[in-house]
Amino acid sequence: MNILKELYNYRQMIIGFVKRDLKGRYKASVLGFMWTFINPLLQLLVYTLVFSTIMRQDIEQYYLFLFVALIPWIFFSTSISGGAGCVISQSSMVTKIYFPREVLPISYVTSAFVNMLLTYIVVFAVVIIAGRTLNPVALLYLPIIMIVEYFLALGITMITSAMTVYFRDLEYILSIITMAWQFLTPIMYDVSILNGKPHLQKIFYINPMTSVIIAYRDIMYYGRAPKLLTLSTAAGMGLIFTILGFLIFGKLKRRFAEEL
Amino acid sequence: MAGFKLPGSNYKKVNTREVVIEASGIHKKYRVYYDKGSSLKEKLLFHKRNLYEERWVLKGVDLQVRKGEAVGLLGVNGCGKSTFLKLLSRIMYPDKGEVKIDGRVSCLIELGAGFHPDLSGRENIYTNAAIFGLTKKEIDARLADIIEFSELGDYIDNPVRTYSSGMYMRLAFSVAINVDADILLIDEILAVGDANFQEKCLNKLRQLKKDGMTIVIVSHDLYTIETFCDRGVWISDGVVAATGEISSVISTYREYLEAQKQEKAEPEPEPEPEPEEPAEDPNASDEPEIDTTSDHFGTGWSVITKSVFRDKDGKETTCLKRGEPFSIDIHYKVNEPGHENIFGIAFHCQNRDLIYGTNQRIDEVPTKLPSDEGIVTFHVENMDLLGGKYIFSVAIIDENEVPMDFYRNYCEFEVESDRSGIGIVNFDHSWEIRKSEEKGESES
Repeated sequence: MNILKELYNYRQMIIGFVKRDLKGRYKASVLGFMWTFINPLLQLLVYTLVFSTIMRQDIEQYYLFLFVALIPWIFFSTSISGGAGCVISQSSMVTKIYFPREVLPISYVTSAFVNMLLTYIVVFAVVIIAGRTLNPVALLYLPIIMIVEYFLALGITMITSAMTVYFRDLEYILSIITMAWQFLTPIMYDVSILNGKPHLQKIFYINPMTSVIIAYRDIMYYGRAPKLLTLSTAAGMGLIFTILGFLIFGKLKRRFAEEL
Repeated sequence: MAGFKLPGSNYKKVNTREVVIEASGIHKKYRVYYDKGSSLKEKLLFHKRNLYEERWVLKGVDLQVRKGEAVGLLGVNGCGKSTFLKLLSRIMYPDKGEVKIDGRVSCLIELGAGFHPDLSGRENIYTNAAIFGLTKKEIDARLADIIEFSELGDYIDNPVRTYSSGMYMRLAFSVAINVDADILLIDEILAVGDANFQEKCLNKLRQLKKDGMTIVIVSHDLYTIETFCDRGVWISDGVVAATGEISSVISTYREYLEAQKQEKAEPEPEPEPEPEEPAEDPNASDEPEIDTTSDHFGTGWSVITKSVFRDKDGKETTCLKRGEPFSIDIHYKVNEPGHENIFGIAFHCQNRDLIYGTNQRIDEVPTKLPSDEGIVTFHVENMDLLGGKYIFSVAIIDENEVPMDFYRNYCEFEVESDRSGIGIVNFDHSWEIRKSEEKGESES
């Protein structure tokens, strides 16, 4: 609990880090901050072309089906694989000055999260232009699922970033793990394809991201409120991983300065 | 430091205030890897590479610091004092024991560690102060003070990468001391920056100390520590070897260094390698050869046992009056006869700029000593420095200019002046006003 109070005192540092990261992200590029919006649009263009001409899918407006789930996934995967290096990359600070080390993963995940929020403006625009109806009641659930995903990503990033300090290969292993994880999460397909395979289905629901992605898709694609079970599973997983993240990070951070 | 009363001894006064730093039974070990590999391949394939030796750097250090105290940590390289400071600052954690700290801590350990080169000085103030746990509002309130103290003026809006190292240090120092910390931890940073700014920093630190800030300093600069701190803690070999009032701890420590030096002069045991504090400071006499960068060095063939200033009446003093004669008695002892003993003295400004220095050879005076123990007196007819504090150095060298006993900054002395000109030294002068004699001559 002490750490939460301390982190609150250090909020300016977190804000500073997030701002610096967002500002610095597209620095020196001609279009600058516009890339935050252009990038997802171009991605969408590619998916539309590929899935409407080359790899035709049965799902109606497949590019949208994919897009509303892919953006949250990208946030999640960059957080855990990119965020794994967030302590190491600040080693000069960690070895020289005191600050609550939790600031580093929190800043990293928050900055990726803000980036996703901005991208979601594009998602909204596309969903509306594509003529899908947005259900206002369902939309009320959107912030909830976003926050749940944020804490899930934060918890896991805290674990990966702390472990990477002791074991540098983890950063590279994680990029493979997140790739595999992406295929094990119903992003490019619907969970219904697992109907009739109860064992596989069980495994899928252990994956915390399954509930999160289903909830996103319910809200943005199907225009319906997510099931309470989906939502509470996701929230429960988010809570468990956040607590785990803080505990593991808190334990491992004590020897950061020596290991770096 | 015989014969001089030093400022800053409010040791007894603070003895009743609350304890703000409490370290008890601090143990810390480092792993010294023979050949470290932290990647998977190395961990699996070269299992032996992960062999390491555990080295205990601190073996049960206790320290209590009360509010408003200034404590100096002394010790030779690798004794663990910097590690101890890092434990106090919570950069590292002890393996055994506990550190309890009450209040906001600011560290002057690595100045400017959080600076971002592409951001302007002003933006860096915000990020850097945020690292000390300040909110935007708190930083806004201190911004003007920080910029003013840094003397950066208009440069404050330029990117930090364009700064000179001096400007960089000034900005970093300004932030670190303006965060309203309750406790300040300082590691050997007073040696950076130009002399004027260094002096300004010291003055600021004195001010902060007066305002009740608790300060812990690690330094090899015994002079600064002695004038600044109330209490000394000498750490040797991972334990507290001596603690108490600063001057007594320093003199014990000096004696120890002296004894070490004598030992080293003889064929000596291999000095233990100290991997945890590499090349931190060459001052502390780990080398057998003479280290001329320290404040006190020499072969010890002849030694200065004491030096005292005497005023025109022959009374011992540290405060001299301008325009009056004074003398300095240098008490010596010859340990190894057969060398010529050339005495030398020098006076410096507070920032260590040399004002005047000379020795018996330069002055071409006889140097033969009548006995193995005695006094050599340096006499000045007219003290002509302006008011202020100055530093005195004294030395004995031999005919080949080998330093036998050399004190840089032996002590500080003060001059009281009736002259109001500014600078260091008084010029006897007069003014005259007259008409120009021939018009237009200056054009030729």
